Amino acid sequence: MLKQFFILTLKGIRYRPTRSWLTIVGVIIGVMLVVIILSLGSGIQSAVSRTLQMFGSDLIIIFPGEETNPLVGFLGGQKFREKDLMALEDIPGVEFVMPMEVKIMNVEYKGEKKTVMIHAAPWKELIKIMESSQGVNLAKGDWPDNNQSNEIVLGYIAENSLFKNKVRIGDEIILKSKRMKVIGAVSEIGNQMDDNTMYISLDMFRTLTGTRQVAGSAFVKIASGADPNLVAKQIESKLDKQEVVQDFSVITPEKANALVGSVLTIVELAFILIAFISLLVGAVGIMNTMYTSVLERTKQIGIMKAIGASSDAILSLFLIESGMIGFVGGILGIILGVFIAFLVGLAAGDMGIGGLFSFAALDFYGFGVILIITFITGILSGIFPARKAAKMEPAEALRYE
Amino acid sequence: MMTKKENHDPVCGMDASVFNDAVKVSHKGGEFLFCSEWCANRFKKNPEKFLGEPLIRLHDVQKSFQMGKVETKVLRGLNVNIWKGDFVAVIGASGSGKSTALNMIGLLDRPTSGSVFLDGEEVSALPDEKRALLRSKTFGFVFQQYNLIPWFTAYENVTLPLVFSNDGIDTERINKRFEEIGMTHRMDHRPLELSGGEQQRVALLRALANDPDIILGDEPTGNLDSETGEKILDMLIDLNNRKEKTLIIVTHDSGIAEKADQVIALKDGKLVRNHQKHKKVYTD
Repeated sequence: MLKQFFILTLKGIRYRPTRSWLTIVGVIIGVMLVVIILSLGSGIQSAVSRTLQMFGSDLIIIFPGEETNPLVGFLGGQKFREKDLMALEDIPGVEFVMPMEVKIMNVEYKGEKKTVMIHAAPWKELIKIMESSQGVNLAKGDWPDNNQSNEIVLGYIAENSLFKNKVRIGDEIILKSKRMKVIGAVSEIGNQMDDNTMYISLDMFRTLTGTRQVAGSAFVKIASGADPNLVAKQIESKLDKQEVVQDFSVITPEKANALVGSVLTIVELAFILIAFISLLVGAVGIMNTMYTSVLERTKQIGIMKAIGASSDAILSLFLIESGMIGFVGGILGIILGVFIAFLVGLAAGDMGIGGLFSFAALDFYGFGVILIITFITGILSGIFPARKAAKMEPAEALRYE
Repeated sequence: MMTKKENHDPVCGMDASVFNDAVKVSHKGGEFLFCSEWCANRFKKNPEKFLGEPLIRLHDVQKSFQMGKVETKVLRGLNVNIWKGDFVAVIGASGSGKSTALNMIGLLDRPTSGSVFLDGEEVSALPDEKRALLRSKTFGFVFQQYNLIPWFTAYENVTLPLVFSNDGIDTERINKRFEEIGMTHRMDHRPLELSGGEQQRVALLRALANDPDIILGDEPTGNLDSETGEKILDMLIDLNNRKEKTLIIVTHDSGIAEKADQVIALKDGKLVRNHQKHKKVYTD
C-alpha cells in the first residue's frame, strides 16, 4: 500500500510542477545554506587548528602582554633580556630556549617593494622547532647554519605569490637596505599569516635593527616526558623575578587550545544558529505549500474519503508528499551547496585564502544527518495541514469548490 | 437503540399517523399503520421481509449547518427505511435536503442528532476509520460532477478504491470492465480528456471497484445530455436488477423516480409521502 501511496503522491506532485518545484527550491536554498555554512565553519575550524599546530605540543611560548592578544605581544611588546630568557634553560624539563623577534618590515625584490612579517631566531633552534614541533619542513634549497651570514628563508606565500615574480633560490632580497640571499623555502603551512613570512637569524635581525641582547618573545622546547604545565609554572615564577617585563604571558599547548577553543565554540554556535534558521525558512516554505495545496485539493480529499480513504490514508498521502519535497530538496540542496562552497573555495584559494571551506565535518554521515533532518522537517511541516485535511467529513470537503 | 414506534410505517419508515388516509393492516395479530395504500400493498406481498431490519434506517435524523451566526436546518427529523435490493429515488426541490439525506445514508456526513442504522448497527456514531471502511466496502458513490481525480488517469481513478481498501489490483479484471463499457482505448486518459459521459462511466467503474452492496448516486445524470444520461441510468438499473445492488439515486428527473421501487420525496428537510409511484409523486 505504501508503494502505491508513493506513486499516487508522485503523480500528484507532477500534476502541479511549478508549485512543487518552487517549494523544493525553497528547501534547496535552505539546505544549501546549511551546507555552505557548516563547511565554512569547518574550514575555519581546521584553519585555526592548523594555526594551533604551529604552537606544537611540546612548546611553551613566552611573550609580553595579555595572553588573549598574542600578536600585539609579539609585534609591539616590551622586550625580555636575552639572559633572563636563556636562564630558563636551567629549569628541569626544558630542553632549550629559543629567543625570537617578530617584526613587520619592508622588503624589496627586483625593484618591487612589499611589507612582510619577519621571524628572527637562532637557526639551529628555529630549524629544530619548525621541523620537529611544528611539522614545517624545508621545501627547497637549504637551511642556513651560519647565524652571521645574510641568508634568508621564505615562507610559502612569500616565495610564490608575494611578488609578481616567483622568488628563486639564490636570488637576492633587499631587507632594510641589506642584500639577503634566498637560501631556502619552507613548505605550505596553510594560513595566510604563517605562510606570508620570511625567516632570518636573530643575530642578523639585531644587526639590521640595532637592538642588543633582547628578544620580544621566546619558544621553550620541553624535554620529552616533562609536564608542560609544571614547566610553565616554573618559567612563570622565574620570569617574575626579572624586572624588565612585568606583564607577560606563558602559554602552554593546553592553554592555547582552551583559548582558541572557546572562541571556536562561539563561532560554531553562531553558524549552527544560522544553519538552523535556514532550515526553518525551508520548513515554513513547505508548510505554506502544504497548506495551500490542502486547501486546493479539499474537494479531491472529499472524493478520496467518499471512495473509502481513511483519515490515516489522507494523512499518509500528504505526509509522504511533504516528506518527499523535503528529501528531494535536501539532496539537491546538498549537491548545490557542496558545488557552490567548492567554487567559492577555489576562488578564495586563488586570492590566497586557502581552505576557506572544508567538508571534513560533512562526510556521508553528515550529509545523511542533513537529509534525515530535512525529511523530518518536511514531514513535521506537513503534519498540521495534513491533519486538517484528514479530519474533514467527506461531505464537507466535497462541498468545497 | 431506539425501537420503531408503532405508528411508523414498517415499509418506508415514516410516521404514518399524520396522514388522514393512513391504512391499517393486521398481520399475525399485530396491527400496522401505513402511510398509503401503496406501502400497505408492498407489505402484504411480503410481510416477513418488512418485519425484519431494513438495510438502512434513518431515525429522526436532523442536520443543521452553521453559516457564520446563522444556523440552517437542512434535515428536520427524517425517518426512512431502505430495503435491500430496492431502487430508491430521492426527490425534492433544490434546498430540500435530498443531497444531505444521501450523505447521511452514505456516511459522508454525520447527523446533528438522530441515528443512521446499517443492517441494524448504528453507524452514525462510529469512529472515522470504521466509517471509512464501510464507505470503502459497502458503498459506491457516483456524483453529478463525476468527481474523478484530475491528476490520475481513468485507469488509476478506477483502482483508487482498491488502493485505499488495500485489496490487490486485479489488472485483468479492471481491463475487462473497461472493455465492457467500451473504453479500453481511453484507459490512460486523464479526466479532462474525456467527455462527460465517459467520465461518468469511469466514475461508475470506480464506484463498483470494491463490489459494494449499495450504490449511491447524487444526480448522476444531471450533467449529461438525455441520451447519455439514459445510458448511465440503464447501467445503474441493470446493476439493481441483475446483481440486486441496492440503488439510491438523488434526482430531479421524475422519469427516473417512476422507475424506482421507492421514492423518498423531501420538502424543507422533511419527508413528504416518500414512496408513491406514478402520479402521486410529490416533488414540490
